[in-house]
Amino acid sequence: MAEERRFRSASGAPIALRRRQHSASCRELAVRGPRLQLRSLSAATSAVWLAAYGLFALCENSMVLSAAIFITLIGLIIYLHFVKIDQESLLVIGSLGIQVTSSYASGKESTTFIEMGQVKDVVINEAIHMQKVIYYLCILLRDSEDPQGVSEVVPLFQSSKPRLDCLIEVYKSCQEILEQRKTAPQSS
Amino acid sequence: ENSPAPLPERAIYGFALFLGAWFGFILYLIWAYIPETWLFSLGLTYWPQKYWAVALPVYLLVAVGIGYILLFGINMMSTAPLNSTHTVTDNYAKKQQQKKFQEEAIPALRDIPISEVNRMFFLPEK
Repeated sequence: MAEERRFRSASGAPIALRRRQHSASCRELAVRGPRLQLRSLSAATSAVWLAAYGLFALCENSMVLSAAIFITLIGLIIYLHFVKIDQESLLVIGSLGIQVTSSYASGKESTTFIEMGQVKDVVINEAIHMQKVIYYLCILLRDSEDPQGVSEVVPLFQSSKPRLDCLIEVYKSCQEILEQRKTAPQSS
Repeated sequence: ENSPAPLPERAIYGFALFLGAWFGFILYLIWAYIPETWLFSLGLTYWPQKYWAVALPVYLLVAVGIGYILLFGINMMSTAPLNSTHTVTDNYAKKQQQKKFQEEAIPALRDIPISEVNRMFFLPEK
């Protein structure tokens, strides 16, 4: 079963959270950010081309104009392939692990898998980020030497940055699956 | 004891500083404004270049302006990034000792782990 709800990101942009339950111990949570807007794309393109035209009016070299077209095209491709993240999803499989996927606007997907033995907990942490205090969801990894300690913090949903109401939904879904670890411990 | 009350020694230090500051200021004005030939005719020849009478205040003001930006930058650099364990715990919390739980006594002060805090805030007990 799949359900989709609308929320806001930390900067005010509209995002959507989609929850799918594949089985009793497997859930997928996907946060989708807004698509690339036509008005911001045309604003950026016009700004670059106006600047190039101003430069051409100063130095009378027509290479500036063709260079501006080139830069706009290459910049757009690089932005879509390396910077603009459309969807970030979290797949929690109870006995196996957690998989984090980021899908870029060009179609590229990058995934990270963390096995359940390394996961200590999934928590909502608050930290200072660029003159603001934000809530963010993160996976705490177990420390091999110290059973109570945290060896690493893996922040999730870094580019869509949902607000606390969306994070609480994701947190509750993850905790329902993580609690099953304690009630039914498997020897591994 | 260290009290901020006025004392005779402090009054003397203050007055000496006051005289010293005025003397330094008058000396700076003399050095900056009186032409070199007049100073040479008095026999005082060993002065720094007058260029520095303008350069040093300018250096000072630019340093103050850069100091604002530098402090801001240092603050941003020492803020822990989102993926560091310093946002969750620190040395004192790791080494704290667990006190035994006593009935009918206020529990001892300790750093509560973040998992417990999260459960208390976000998972309401039914």
